[in-house]
Amino acid sequence: MTNDTLTLDAAYTGPLATAGVRPETIVSAHGLTKRYQLGKDNFVDALRGATMQVWAGEMVAIMGPSGCGKSTLLHMLGCLDAPDSGEVRLDGSRVDNIGDRATTQLLRTKIGFIFQGFNLVPTMSALDNVAVAGQYAGRRRSQAQAAARRALQAVGLAERAGHRPSELSGGQQQRVAIARALVNHPLVIFGDEPTGNLDSASSSEVTAMMRDISVTTGTTFILVTHDPDVASACDRTIFMKDGVVTRDSGLETAWADEAA
Amino acid sequence: MMTIVHNVFRRKVRALLTIFGITIGVFALVVMGSMAEKINLMVDGGTRYYQDKVIVSDASMAGGAFSSAPLSIATIPDIEAAEGVARASAGVFMLLDDEQGMSMGVPQMLVGSDDRARGYESFALTVAKGRDLLPDDRGTTVLGTDLARALDAEVGKTVIMRGREFEVVGIYDKTLTAPDNTAAVPLADAQELLFEGLPAMVQTQIASEQLATSITAYPEPGVDPDLLAGTIEAQVSGVKASGPQVFMDQFESGTRIFNSIIFGVALVALLVGGLSVVNTMIMAVSERTREIGIRKAIGASRGQIVRQFLAESTLIGFLGGVSGLLLGWLATLGVNAVMGSSGTILFLVTGRLALGSLLFAIVLGISSGLYPSLHASRLRPVVALRYE
Repeated sequence: MTNDTLTLDAAYTGPLATAGVRPETIVSAHGLTKRYQLGKDNFVDALRGATMQVWAGEMVAIMGPSGCGKSTLLHMLGCLDAPDSGEVRLDGSRVDNIGDRATTQLLRTKIGFIFQGFNLVPTMSALDNVAVAGQYAGRRRSQAQAAARRALQAVGLAERAGHRPSELSGGQQQRVAIARALVNHPLVIFGDEPTGNLDSASSSEVTAMMRDISVTTGTTFILVTHDPDVASACDRTIFMKDGVVTRDSGLETAWADEAA
Repeated sequence: MMTIVHNVFRRKVRALLTIFGITIGVFALVVMGSMAEKINLMVDGGTRYYQDKVIVSDASMAGGAFSSAPLSIATIPDIEAAEGVARASAGVFMLLDDEQGMSMGVPQMLVGSDDRARGYESFALTVAKGRDLLPDDRGTTVLGTDLARALDAEVGKTVIMRGREFEVVGIYDKTLTAPDNTAAVPLADAQELLFEGLPAMVQTQIASEQLATSITAYPEPGVDPDLLAGTIEAQVSGVKASGPQVFMDQFESGTRIFNSIIFGVALVALLVGGLSVVNTMIMAVSERTREIGIRKAIGASRGQIVRQFLAESTLIGFLGGVSGLLLGWLATLGVNAVMGSSGTILFLVTGRLALGSLLFAIVLGISSGLYPSLHASRLRPVVALRYE
């Protein structure tokens, strides 16, 4: 299957499908291209027309070989970067090239991020690392801290709220990062190799936690990963190669069902 | 607030060195500024003293109140006859010690005045201890506070001034200006001391009780003292009359030099301290590029990033300002304590100087942090997140 055969109206096969619910499309990309200049005459085409679609409440993995454009696609879906051409929609609105102010507003209200390297601020406690996202979103410090405590409770780290990142294990740091991503109740949480720096036990724990949050809160997760175990915990997997989406496990299942 | 402190002191040695740079600048500003404040205060005192009177001296000298050329008090009726003069009063002004060296402030003076200025003199001195001079006093003195300390004098004790014994009957309240270094003595005593110092040839021509070094003319209400000076010179022969403007011009030329020095010190402080803050903040932004990316990815606006880094540079400026101010204040106290025993008070740390120095350091911190902060805020999150 090539990228051209994908359509944005493809059938939804996520967890709610069995209950007869057809949720709205929450994130979609169409024909995204991105070229980076590495030297004077050295260009890299990170995306060459990537197209994909994610429905609300899904947990989706994006897989592919290193350098295939997974992270670039994720950054564009999450408004951290802008495509050279193509279209990104989030919650029904165009979000590609929307400017600093609107992007910041989206990052505060609709988007959460989890990174491979945890990316916590080393001088701040776990509580403050989570609360700062609430404060950026306009909450008062006390309100943000209360919300941060609830988020840390949700990831099982209420007892470690006063610890700095250096005093936490990798798995605990990533759970703090998940709490930070959750604290503003985003529609979508983007994870860039969220288990990439974890041992297998911590990886399973974090993956299970994301799955649980997805199911219980309906938060959409889009995860770039190399880990087949993470992918298997997702509703479907989107495969990329050379800057385009080449396969979508969910769509194959749908077509297989139709063919049958 | 604690986060800001933690961020500033992530690199403790670097932060302390930067703060030290500002400390040195503010220290210099406080020390030089306090010297200027002291001089400005003396100038203010002089301005207040001379603002409503005309000083008449012998035409052969142009030393104003500090002239030592004798003048006869017989000129008083002529001066009072000039149109616009309400009262004229004789005074003898002389250095307490002809050999005293260069001084940063007003030299120690011995002053004798008649009683005619009473009711006309607006620059009133009040007595802190003892009493003021009385019309019939002889061999008595009321000392300014700094001079009293320099002479180790107290009320009831005697002091020797220009080779003559005087009983200290009072000590004036502190004025922070020239009278603090002045000994007021009865006019007759001052006249005798002046007479003793005159060349023998002059002594034969004038009696001691006729001597004055200057006569102060007090204008009638509504009369401009500067214009009155011209009137007196025109109507009284052999005298030079100086209105307030003459003294203000003299003071201004002196203070201009000091203000230039202060401005120079402030400029050096600005350059040295400011550049060190800029350097530190650029390093901080560079080291924390990834953190900036994280903060932007979780919803920090450009303004919030700018405020974060500005808060850090402001804290550096504030800490440098406080430590510089404290060090400068302690240094001026120390020097004043050491030199005060000789009657020389060089420094005066005023509230406005302290506040101004602190504000200066804070503004320095803010302005120096502005470029690095704006640079940080402009970083694209995706680029910043890739930074290792």
